Amino acid sequence: MTTVQELPQIRGVKNIPLIEGFTSGHRTCQGCESALVMRLMIKAAGPRTIVLGSTGCMYVANTTYYSTPWVVPWMHTQLGSSGSAATGTAAGLASMMRKGKMTKEPINVIAFCGDGGGADMGLSAISAALQHDEYNLLILMYDNESYANTDIQVSGSTPWGANTTFSPPGKLHRIMNQRWKKNTAPMLAVGHPNVRYVATADGSYGLDFTNKIRRALTIGGPTFIHSIDPCPKGWDFDPKYSHELGMLVVETGLWVQYEIIDGELTLNGPSRAIARGIRKRKPVREYLERQGRFAHMTDEDLKHFQDRVDESWEKWWMPGVIPITQNDE
Amino acid sequence: MTTTVEPMFREATEELISGSEAIAMACALADVDVITAFPIRPYDTVMQFVSRLKADGIFDCDFIVAESEHTQFEIVKHASSVGARTFSGSSGVGWFYAFEAITVTAGLRMPVVAMVGNRALDDPGAFGVEHNDALAVRDLGWMLYWVATAQEALDMALIAWRIAEDPKVLLPFALSCDGSFLTHSQAIVQVPAIEQVNRFLPPYDRGKLQLHPDNPITIAPQVNEDWLMEIRRQSDEAMRRSVGVIKKAYEEFKQEFGRGDPSPFIDEFMTEDAEIIVVGMGTLALPARVAIRRLREEGKKVGFLRVKFFRPFPTDEIREALSKCKAVCVIDRDYSYGSPSFGGVLFNELRAAMYNQQNRPWMLNFIAGLGGREIRVREINEIVDITQKAIDDDKVEQETTWIGVRE
Amino acid sequence: MSVVAVEVVYRGIFQRTLARNIVRSIVFAARKEGKIGTAFGRYGDSPERNGIPAKQFAIVADGAEELEESMAVYEAAQVDVTINVDDAMCKGVESWAWYGLQPINELTKPGGTLIVTSRQDNDSLIQDMHQRDTAYDLAVIPSIPSFSGLWVYKDDHTDVRILGTLAKVASHLVSIESMLEVIKEQWGSEEKQASAKKAYDRATVRPVEPGEGKSEERMTFTLPGWKDMEEGVVIRGIEEGGGFRGGDSGYQPVRSAVFKKFSTRSMRPVINFETCTKCTLCWLQCPDTCFDVTPDGLYDANMESCCGCGVCEAVCPVTDCVTMVSESHFNDNNSQWEAWQKDKDGYKKWMTVLVETQKKETRTHGFHHKGQYAEEIAAMGDV
Repeated sequence: MTTVQELPQIRGVKNIPLIEGFTSGHRTCQGCESALVMRLMIKAAGPRTIVLGSTGCMYVANTTYYSTPWVVPWMHTQLGSSGSAATGTAAGLASMMRKGKMTKEPINVIAFCGDGGGADMGLSAISAALQHDEYNLLILMYDNESYANTDIQVSGSTPWGANTTFSPPGKLHRIMNQRWKKNTAPMLAVGHPNVRYVATADGSYGLDFTNKIRRALTIGGPTFIHSIDPCPKGWDFDPKYSHELGMLVVETGLWVQYEIIDGELTLNGPSRAIARGIRKRKPVREYLERQGRFAHMTDEDLKHFQDRVDESWEKWWMPGVIPITQNDE
Repeated sequence: MTTTVEPMFREATEELISGSEAIAMACALADVDVITAFPIRPYDTVMQFVSRLKADGIFDCDFIVAESEHTQFEIVKHASSVGARTFSGSSGVGWFYAFEAITVTAGLRMPVVAMVGNRALDDPGAFGVEHNDALAVRDLGWMLYWVATAQEALDMALIAWRIAEDPKVLLPFALSCDGSFLTHSQAIVQVPAIEQVNRFLPPYDRGKLQLHPDNPITIAPQVNEDWLMEIRRQSDEAMRRSVGVIKKAYEEFKQEFGRGDPSPFIDEFMTEDAEIIVVGMGTLALPARVAIRRLREEGKKVGFLRVKFFRPFPTDEIREALSKCKAVCVIDRDYSYGSPSFGGVLFNELRAAMYNQQNRPWMLNFIAGLGGREIRVREINEIVDITQKAIDDDKVEQETTWIGVRE
Repeated sequence: MSVVAVEVVYRGIFQRTLARNIVRSIVFAARKEGKIGTAFGRYGDSPERNGIPAKQFAIVADGAEELEESMAVYEAAQVDVTINVDDAMCKGVESWAWYGLQPINELTKPGGTLIVTSRQDNDSLIQDMHQRDTAYDLAVIPSIPSFSGLWVYKDDHTDVRILGTLAKVASHLVSIESMLEVIKEQWGSEEKQASAKKAYDRATVRPVEPGEGKSEERMTFTLPGWKDMEEGVVIRGIEEGGGFRGGDSGYQPVRSAVFKKFSTRSMRPVINFETCTKCTLCWLQCPDTCFDVTPDGLYDANMESCCGCGVCEAVCPVTDCVTMVSESHFNDNNSQWEAWQKDKDGYKKWMTVLVETQKKETRTHGFHHKGQYAEEIAAMGDV
């Protein structure tokens, strides 16, 4: 395994690096949380980084030919190829450095994908990448809970009942998306025992986010971060609330913040306080009723939603993380 | 096997190996950096040998067994972007599973070299040779070459990296090898010494297009209608430039290694005074030559032309060679349902190339040897007879004929 | 008349349904009079982004052949009527899929009409718009620009008020009678019919003479040829940033030379540098890397990058330290920090006025909570 960069944990927001690797020239929506995620990602990783971007909003809206927001080297990869792109880039660098064809130095390799590219199409390639202990790479899945670039179509990561252009509430079927959101990060953590770092993240908690990126890049081997990104366009809310919704999704217990380091799970931020009973979960209604995509939901729908979330905290073997209950008989 | 390999790179040796093994040796001689594999026959024999060479420490590469052909080709595409020399391959529907990655590899101008072990497309599953798998990339910006012998497989692999990685070209290169006939049968092959190879094949240098923190570029941003035509035109120009690069590389190869044909693009056999020229690709050359020798003994003026490069298509060479004769019979080891004359791909491209010529020979198409069925001397004789009849009647009764199919 | 073309310039997503309602109703109304028409959005604008300017068109002709003639050019070179549903775009529009700044009146025919929904008066709007050498008419519909999101439409009658006005200023396109009929069919709402009729009765135009408007040099972009473009679909990355204004303290990223966000925002942050606690939140949470870090550790919103989302205002813990103010109140993109440095009292006065004005304006940009639009419409009364 090649060596990794010196990227110490950042103590306090005031110590977050000033350097920007993702600046202007992109055309993302007003209040695009995923654009913030890109920016924080590079702040944490620094200039000696190669970024691979799979098809999606952060490709199409970010880089429109002849303009780019990227200061660091960046390359497009196909929708389902974040895992392959990271592996190929890391392998190329490793091979040439080992053979003396390129100056030896630790270069961060980060491939990002949306929920469509990661939790759906790219799952098998990501799984394959996470088996290559010999390469240092990070796969960052920015989850805006739909195929947002193509006009907001339902993905495996879209919440139950959400309005999308493929799951519109209709006269006969009010709830077109009957699927429950895919539990991607734990699936990958549990399925790849050699992976040293898997985490969930949220751009609304900027310091926590940058530190998670740094942990992923310095622990060695392939790593995975799943970030939840409020999408003003697809979720239908005033862009100024991106940050607030990013916090509400955690405070209501819909999204759980944690790190799994060498197989050890640590909840962090509000999720930790909720798990320890220090802090009460807010009703999901407070989060759902702030978004146009749930505006068609009835009280019954909201109750169903709340029940499922309660269950994940009260019945799951690992609250909010692993949907398994132990049979003690 | 490996004991014979170990010393061979220090000095030129002679080996009894298959076409697949010959290409694997070329990988070692070219010091390829990243190789990706996924099992599907018949191509996978090359990867079995590559993994053996790596296991025995005969050459050092990152050998990655992918979880699908799509990943296989995405990995080498990205490894190539940072400047690594790459090799991959597939067969039949495996090649098609990777099609998205294969498409963008050319679009991004990544000089990946791939072996296509020609195999019939599913369904039904079949292992035998058909050329439709490799032919599917003919419009995408891949250079496409049909190999006839194990020796040619090794030689052309070395030439392939030289051409593909040339800064004037930067296009991927597919080596098409007939399943079984080439991938699984062994022949005597001259394996060159590493010094010779190093003299002929410079290191891959992507220059200002290399993805690296020292060269911070953005590769392949989304384009709209204001840009795509210009980008397509650039790839078109690269393919046009490849013609000159191929000629130069081939001449230098012949000087360095002392073997090769007069032309890198086509291989002519007894065509000078031929009235009928049989045209085909790949291992068909062997039975064709035998048949033609016998026909010549009978006093029939028949020759054979093997198309080696399908992309770039050797339009000039083809025109010059074919406009001399009275009739051309094209043997397609492929099909193109519903295409002009319900014929094959090779036939229709050849006919298109000849259309504006002053002297146009009659052109007949024969679909033969599908799914690995043999094309024997007998079939070639039948083809020549039908073609002779067209000359005698001064008209073509039937443009496309399926040969050796049970009625 | 044989062919009449109408363009609707709107804010992506926020006003997509509004624009769609307008262009479709125009075609339906024309049908009532035996004409034929087509309605479409500019493909180059999709996928639409929140707030990024986009266009939809309605083209109406007497016969199919005349329609074909005009359809032979995808985007009309000239339109009889331009409808701008966010007055902030009077400064010009730069849609996300092409380059350069297009004056709002660029496509409006000589003698044509520009309809704008705005709370500003004619003259202050004309100050925002680019000069041209031919005359046209301006019709202002007094109203708050109507914004809502992708799924829930804010039915504040803006669509029918525009349609009513259109029937008045472009009577050759369609009569008010046909328009009212269509509105009844489309929405079955007497109120919406009434709003359309009221707009029709009240509509007035103000002629804009040649040379009126701002003299600003429009931003243009020349497309290079294939020989001048790098191969391998490669473009150079943005250079690394450095100290504020090239100095050795603070920080300022280098920004894209070919795409500025001047026209993508309808609001911008106004900063009170005196109450700022330097908590870093506006800078840290900005998705658009818009804040330059000044040598004194303050954060200066750079208008080359700001798309007006308002996150900085939302995260700022200090009251009125960051206030989002309607873009229509600004005539330049200059640095607020520099203005403050030059004249702190002057800046304070300027800022206070803007913040107060903003409090009176109830401009919102989409969904806040269930039932909000109904409340807002009720509060609007008769604008």
